[in-house]
Amino acid sequence: MSDLLDSSNDFWPALAQGLEEVCVQGGRDMPAALAFTLSRLPAGDRRPAAMAVGRLWQAEHGRPYGPGLACAGLSSRRSGLLLISGRTEAEMLWTMEQALRSGAVSMMLGTVENASLAQTRRLEFAARDGEAVGVLLRQTQGGLNAARRRWRISSIESAPHDDDRRAPGRFRLRAELTRGRQERPGIWILEQDDETHRLRLADRLAGDGQGERGRTVVAA
Amino acid sequence: MTVRANAAGRSSPPDPAQGSHDGPPFALIARTRRGATIHALNAAARAAGLSRGQTQADARAMLPALICQPADLAADLRALEALAVWAERWSPAVTVDAPSQELPDGLEGLFLDVTGGTHLFGGEAGLLRQMERRLAEAGARSRTAVAETPGAAWALARWSGENGRIAPPGGLREALADLPVEALRIDDPTLRQARRFGLKRIGDLYPMPRAGLARRFQANGAKGDGIGLVRRLDQALGATAEALAPTRPPPRYRAWEAYAEPLGDTAGIESRLPGLAADLARPLEKDGQGARALTLTGFRTDGLTTSLSIRLGLPGRDADVWLRLFREKGIERLDPGFGIDALMLSADRVEPVRPHQVSTEDADAARHAESLAGLVDRLSARLGEEAVQTAEPHGSWLPERAERWRPALGAPPTPSPDPASDPRLRPILMLDPPEPVEAIAELPDGAPAQFTWRRVSRRVRRADGPERLSPEWWRPRPDDRQTRTRDYYRIEDDQGLRYWLFREGLYGPDYTGRPEERAPSWWMHGMFP
Repeated sequence: MSDLLDSSNDFWPALAQGLEEVCVQGGRDMPAALAFTLSRLPAGDRRPAAMAVGRLWQAEHGRPYGPGLACAGLSSRRSGLLLISGRTEAEMLWTMEQALRSGAVSMMLGTVENASLAQTRRLEFAARDGEAVGVLLRQTQGGLNAARRRWRISSIESAPHDDDRRAPGRFRLRAELTRGRQERPGIWILEQDDETHRLRLADRLAGDGQGERGRTVVAA
Repeated sequence: MTVRANAAGRSSPPDPAQGSHDGPPFALIARTRRGATIHALNAAARAAGLSRGQTQADARAMLPALICQPADLAADLRALEALAVWAERWSPAVTVDAPSQELPDGLEGLFLDVTGGTHLFGGEAGLLRQMERRLAEAGARSRTAVAETPGAAWALARWSGENGRIAPPGGLREALADLPVEALRIDDPTLRQARRFGLKRIGDLYPMPRAGLARRFQANGAKGDGIGLVRRLDQALGATAEALAPTRPPPRYRAWEAYAEPLGDTAGIESRLPGLAADLARPLEKDGQGARALTLTGFRTDGLTTSLSIRLGLPGRDADVWLRLFREKGIERLDPGFGIDALMLSADRVEPVRPHQVSTEDADAARHAESLAGLVDRLSARLGEEAVQTAEPHGSWLPERAERWRPALGAPPTPSPDPASDPRLRPILMLDPPEPVEAIAELPDGAPAQFTWRRVSRRVRRADGPERLSPEWWRPRPDDRQTRTRDYYRIEDDQGLRYWLFREGLYGPDYTGRPEERAPSWWMHGMFP
């Protein structure tokens, strides 16, 4: 069985202060992207996470649901989620920058589709000032921006259930690092860990149909 | 009681001194039990011999050119309340004297508690002069008086001449003696009774034996409590206390600045704000208090007020934080109109600030909590309190009621419940309300084999369920439709996407399939990662 995805693992890019971009492969992969993002929250940080969402995004994907977020690892840190609904993208960018700079949140997610290079650079600086992580949660991979890592997330078939072959088991997702600052891109197949509610590398012995691609990491 | 002001012989108070007779005769008409009567009239109509309470038909007969408009009594009261807020420039406690059962309307007014504050305006005479001048500038004619009791001030304002409007200390009896008994705020039956006894002036009541006065007016009063006359007399003379209920609770802390030259723009207001904030912070600090809510009120020259409020999550007295919140809220939202000649910053809600003693390991947590409160304050001021929300768990089996979203202002985010204590799987994103789904199931009460949601058809590869949730029958639904049992399924489609579907209603033995019976229906309630 693979190790937990902690910053101590050398194969896993440690979550660092700054701005990241998490993009979905298809429109319906947003829950996976959200779970991927939230499960990477640093475990020792007791500050709450915050999320700025637009009206359109809420109509399309629904709203974050507390009991479900607990399964994604938010509750293990005993802090909550602050939900901020913005009317315009400019308002959401302002909200993200304020929250990141204040140092009051550990992670600030924003569903901002169009952000220019200058705007993302502002967010990057604000995140470093506030010792926090900013995440742009996007539908489409945008153009040039200042994010230090850019991920693409898609849902894949879940692990077989231990007791019932017909039931979905632990959820699995495919995380592709398409760009990283001084990091090599790669693909990771991740699954939920029942005990810690965090993500770990999926056991590939079961054969999930994914071929070697890029720097696919095989769990030791 | 069909008899109104005129029939009781109630004479109108004399006209205010200001105002001119220009403009065509004009009257506002109110519907009363006597039909359409004049509710208010301008100086030209008054000069033509019309009076309040006259029927519209009579008035039209006397003056065919009279312009009539329907009176809006509710709007009158609203305008008076707005004026009461504006009058807070002279006193923090302003009470609206609204029309009541006892008194016919048209005798409304404002009570200002100016105890200990008149020296700020050059004494009592100076205060009255300033009030009348400012009200006249704002387009309102006024009569003012100062006395030790509200009742006496009410009487003097309406019935005394130009030089008797300030009751000398201890001279209330003499000041009131010559005024007519109407000045005592008594109702019509009491007034008629008093006239029948030949009691025309307030001074006539002084030598009367009180017990007899109370008994006679009780015996013959139209209403149950006939002691109105004695009570009103005692109130006017200060023998009985009269409680006033201010329109807004007077703030304990307020800072105040008046300007000789009215401020006309946002920049002007903003430049005055730091001084006001510093003035307000000083007494708060002295008393160990912090403000939770602040209001900046601008008093305009036209008799209106404009105000801007901010709220804080934690009590604070840091003037810089207040200024920042006011700027986030938008000082440009204050409409200066033709100019603001006074600004007031009041602390509407204060709470004691307790200095925390933090141990070294809690220092980080305390700092984070403080910066979080500041962040929530700023976001709420800019985006609105409803836009910044946090969830709190709530004890209900129904998924949509298992958590409640509430504004984050004033309460820190609460953690989600520990998943170890509740192993049921819940979606990470929830659709509220649920969206309808067309589903095909192999068995009527089994999991779906295929479903169509948002016009996309999806084939189910794996399903887990049902998790049966019974309706909360103890909570009646507003639309009177009976809530039905829900069967929840976790579904995975052939693309590896996971959903939370439920079937509302059961294909039980009672189900007959008749059209009037609602068939069980499928709904999409959320998405799993």
